[in-house]
Amino acid sequence: MMAALGAAIRRGVFSIGVLAIFVLFVGPVAILVLTSVRPASGAYYIWRGTTFTLQNFVEVAQQSQVMQAMFNSFVLSTLATIFSLGITVGSGYMLSRFSGWIQRSWFATIYVFRTVPYISWVLPLYLVNTRLGIYDTYLGLLLPHVAVHVCFFSWLMKGFFDGINPSMEHAALIDGCTRWGAFYRVALPSAMPGIAALAILCWLSTWNEFLFALILSGQRTPLITSTMAQFVTETGTEWNLMSATAVFAMLPALLVTVFGQKYVIRGLRM
Amino acid sequence: MAEVILRDVAKKYGQLPVVHGVNLTISDGEFVVLVGPSGCGKSTTLRMIAGLESISSGTISIGNKVVNDLPPKDRDIAMVFQNYALYQQMTVYDNLAFGLRNRKVPEDDIRIEVARATQILGLDPLLSRKPFQLSGGQQQRVAFGRCIVRHPQVFLFDEPLSNLDAKLRAQMRLEIKSLRERVPTTSVYVTHDQVEAMTLGDRVVVMKDGWIQQVGTPLEIYNLPANRFVASFIGAPAMNFIEVDLVEEQGKLRANAEKFSIGVPEPQASLLRKHRVGSVTLGVRPENVHLGSPPVDTDTNFVGEVAVTEQLGAELIVAIKSAGSAIMASRIPPDTSLAIHENVSMWMNPKSLHFFDAKTEAALR
Repeated sequence: MMAALGAAIRRGVFSIGVLAIFVLFVGPVAILVLTSVRPASGAYYIWRGTTFTLQNFVEVAQQSQVMQAMFNSFVLSTLATIFSLGITVGSGYMLSRFSGWIQRSWFATIYVFRTVPYISWVLPLYLVNTRLGIYDTYLGLLLPHVAVHVCFFSWLMKGFFDGINPSMEHAALIDGCTRWGAFYRVALPSAMPGIAALAILCWLSTWNEFLFALILSGQRTPLITSTMAQFVTETGTEWNLMSATAVFAMLPALLVTVFGQKYVIRGLRM
Repeated sequence: MAEVILRDVAKKYGQLPVVHGVNLTISDGEFVVLVGPSGCGKSTTLRMIAGLESISSGTISIGNKVVNDLPPKDRDIAMVFQNYALYQQMTVYDNLAFGLRNRKVPEDDIRIEVARATQILGLDPLLSRKPFQLSGGQQQRVAFGRCIVRHPQVFLFDEPLSNLDAKLRAQMRLEIKSLRERVPTTSVYVTHDQVEAMTLGDRVVVMKDGWIQQVGTPLEIYNLPANRFVASFIGAPAMNFIEVDLVEEQGKLRANAEKFSIGVPEPQASLLRKHRVGSVTLGVRPENVHLGSPPVDTDTNFVGEVAVTEQLGAELIVAIKSAGSAIMASRIPPDTSLAIHENVSMWMNPKSLHFFDAKTEAALR
């Protein structure tokens, strides 16, 4: 009897823990969605109000700045993913398959960039971008994002390639392939699930990124994350409009995640 | 002429030597087995022949051409790996055709070659399957097929049967032998299994710690091991080793240990007297240790206490406590009844005693 009681208590504690984590993660999103369907006056007592409206979404959609920002973020995420993939996959393969001073130097370079606090990059990048004249352009945002992807995700690709047996490539070398051929025709096809996972992670990380978006972009190439922050004004914060923008911003990310989820799990499981 | 010649081939990883000067000549069509425990350098040597590892010093030539600087694809070799290394994303047919397509062989010729390999190895029903749909034995056969389609000068095998279960391993050993009949090619085969070495090799190369210990035919290695390591590595159950002191007693040389004394027969007695050694290691294989008394007096009797018996059905293997350690005897009739702690008298075949130097471990012959 005591054992059954103990088991029941353990289950109870476990359930409460899971519920707490659920509330922690889903809570803010729930509040966000709720705020987005309340009128401006109802933004502070979202739980007690009874009026719901979709007017917020209409108002936000009419603001060309917001729609432009959505478009820019989408283009940037896609471009950054395409360029990052090429470099990160190669980088991960090199870290996995090769040894020697080149590999060690590359490893050290990536490591150094990872240990430096993220926020300390923005000021130097701002200066570099303005000097080069690429401040507030696609290129000025693309390059830092690709660099971040390469530094942070090379490890992931290295892990995927470590999971692929190198004897396949050795067999390919004996069968007449050059080193490139072995990589391209044998290793790469086997790493496809990992590459799909990588693509989704790259896309999402650029889409959600706030710091570079805030500092390195201005009026010409607004991005959705920084545009959302503009609803904080001197006269007050338009919570309802900000929430509506946030819901808009969540949708593409949600779509990408839902479709790509199985690839990410399969890729992370390798 | 597909001779493979290794001259003073050595390999170092940084400062760490893993293969020391290997000298070996493999004749055209010969099947040579490199055997030894893990870490002895056999796989490294094979990979140097293949071109998958660089050669630190020495030369390797295949068919009269020095191949040190040639990439694997230009050495005209084919290799079978321990984990099959099949191309996972391609069908069996494409796996077999891959090497030929790389060499720009026309598709019609490819079809003929693949058909030939398929017929030899019985791969016909598997051609459109992918590797993950095949069993271990089938995958290994495809790996063999990938080798023979290209008609290379040399076959290299890197522990191809290690991933298979015991029964399948025995079956595949026979298949390798029959493959040899149909496609005789110079072959270098690496394994840690001494049974594979004995059954498959024309010659066996025993390696340890990066050094070649002995090269010879299977029977040479078995009957005339060059040192204690080769004697202990080849043959199962392993050879018994007894540390003995050699003393002269009434004009006869005796090998003595704790509660153990046998007379050293000729011609070994004269040999050992010439070497003037005091202590040696006596080696005798379990199948040459017998129960009871010999038909004629051989002066190789000893007594001991039964420690363990192992019933194999066809024979009984017994461990006898004697001479301060355990002496194994095999090929005892399976219906012999022996109780643990029972005292038994045993004798050794005087014609099959080996003596090894106690310090250098070299065979004294």
